[in-house]
Amino acid sequence: MSLSKKIALTTANLTKSFGTLIAVDNVSFTIEEGSIVGVLGPNGAGKTTMIRLITGIFELESTSQVKINSSDLTHSPKLLKKEFGIVPEVSNAFLDFSVWQNLTFAGTIYGLSKAQIKEKAQELLKRFDLENKIHDKTKTLSEGLKQRLNVCLALLHNPSIIILDEPMSGLDPFSVDIVRNQILELKREGKTILLTTHNMQEAQKVCDRVLIMNKGKIIADQSPEDLLKKIKPYTNLSFKINTLLSQEQNNELKSIFQFIELKNDQVNIVSSNPLRDIKKFNDFVEKYDLSVSNFKLIESTLEEVFIHLIKNDTLGGVGNETH
Amino acid sequence: MRHIELKTIITLTRKNFILYIKKGPVLIFGLLFPFFMLISWILGREISSDQIFIGIVSMTSFFTATAISPVILPIETREKSLERLLAAPISLVEILLGITLASTIYSFVISTIITGIFLIVYPFLLTSVIAGLMIFFGIFLMGLLGSLLALLVSAKPTDQTSDIMVLVNLVKFPLLFLGGVFIPLKDLTSYSSIINLISPLTYLTELLRGCINEISVISPGMNILILCSWIVLLFALNYVVHKKTMPKRFSEAVGGKKVMKN
Repeated sequence: MSLSKKIALTTANLTKSFGTLIAVDNVSFTIEEGSIVGVLGPNGAGKTTMIRLITGIFELESTSQVKINSSDLTHSPKLLKKEFGIVPEVSNAFLDFSVWQNLTFAGTIYGLSKAQIKEKAQELLKRFDLENKIHDKTKTLSEGLKQRLNVCLALLHNPSIIILDEPMSGLDPFSVDIVRNQILELKREGKTILLTTHNMQEAQKVCDRVLIMNKGKIIADQSPEDLLKKIKPYTNLSFKINTLLSQEQNNELKSIFQFIELKNDQVNIVSSNPLRDIKKFNDFVEKYDLSVSNFKLIESTLEEVFIHLIKNDTLGGVGNETH
Repeated sequence: MRHIELKTIITLTRKNFILYIKKGPVLIFGLLFPFFMLISWILGREISSDQIFIGIVSMTSFFTATAISPVILPIETREKSLERLLAAPISLVEILLGITLASTIYSFVISTIITGIFLIVYPFLLTSVIAGLMIFFGIFLMGLLGSLLALLVSAKPTDQTSDIMVLVNLVKFPLLFLGGVFIPLKDLTSYSSIINLISPLTYLTELLRGCINEISVISPGMNILILCSWIVLLFALNYVVHKKTMPKRFSEAVGGKKVMKN
């Protein structure tokens, strides 16, 4: 972590239980100013509960701490809440209010003057192409438009940290592209962004750092590139054999490789050691004088890293991937 | 930043008033229900104008006060807008006051119109200006009290309005029948009058009786004091109970389904 960058958000010992279920278990992390941090995790990992703790929706326990730009706002929930702009997964604007009524309500609640609300709301409506929907009731808007209104509502009071909860969930590829560009644009404006997502490809594309959560704990905290380099659990090796294999040859291949899929002339091997397995496969090809084409080596994705980590954590195998 | 800000409370009150005044349960339980109940009570019976006045004013006030406040939290839980409020710089006290005041204003406006019309038709009921002011003050207090009572019932962390309205009616009707609307406190035996003292509506009907020169067992001043005490007690209870149940609106069985969004 670069020492020159300011820390925008510091959380310490975040904990939340619901009866016997520990939803968030002693979570601590920091986020640098102007960075995009993704929170990944399976359903029930504690991502949303953690965000609700940070943003003051759930009351913090006495041992928990939330600092914004090094100011401890743990015990000042109103000041803390003003620092965040939240874009929820599902629209939570007032459905019977018009777009404009929602914006003026939010602006008033965040303490903006009428002139400030008018100026900022008009700017946001223009930026997110909602100008012609200003008098439409929110319930009549499409999901994509509602999501854009949510972004406007989150940005209205000029927060220092934007939190996006599953921002691409349920959106068509066109809207996903719009949201992705909006996120990157916000980063360019210097905003600090924390986003939760199930979409690993998107996280890999936009995040500077990812926190992987499971069972209420952070089990990995690194950049997507570092996670891939460090873990890289499996590589997919794909070949096309130009000769039809006999049953004996098929059986021999299955005995050599533990994870192999044979489909007609296509061979797919899931490998934890690609160099070793390529050599083994080459030996097999030479032994029977086979002709092979279309060799592909498919690199690990963040999704595979994610699955690997969650599986290992569930089996109790991860111990040193959080820093 | 202060814990309670007047501007925030006014904004919330306005929002609640605009959004929920025309909702189905509010119209049914706040206007239609008391209207038909009054009609069925009055028609075909020989009831004095004093008794009709007390019945109409107290029932209108009580029913309208308990109409808006219980529907807001279930609807906002369902539509997720409650999470928007809790994520904004708004305290729980402000949320509760915003709901209570919207409901109180709704109740006060409707009850005042009904009372005003009644007093124009039967001006002899009004004995003095002070008595008139006390009638309207009593209506205002019942608006607050009824709103807080129904809001307390809506602390159950559900997103179904019908669940709450069933509970509200379960509380409301016994209090109405024990509230001295149909049988004045003075006509009850000592045993049954003690039961009637449980209902806060008793203190409004007694206050109205005192103000129109009917025989009242409890003095107007005492009625006002008891109504105010009920309001303070209900607000404190609301704060404690809602503080406890609010997180459950996002994490426990909401609307009969197990919801644990993460």
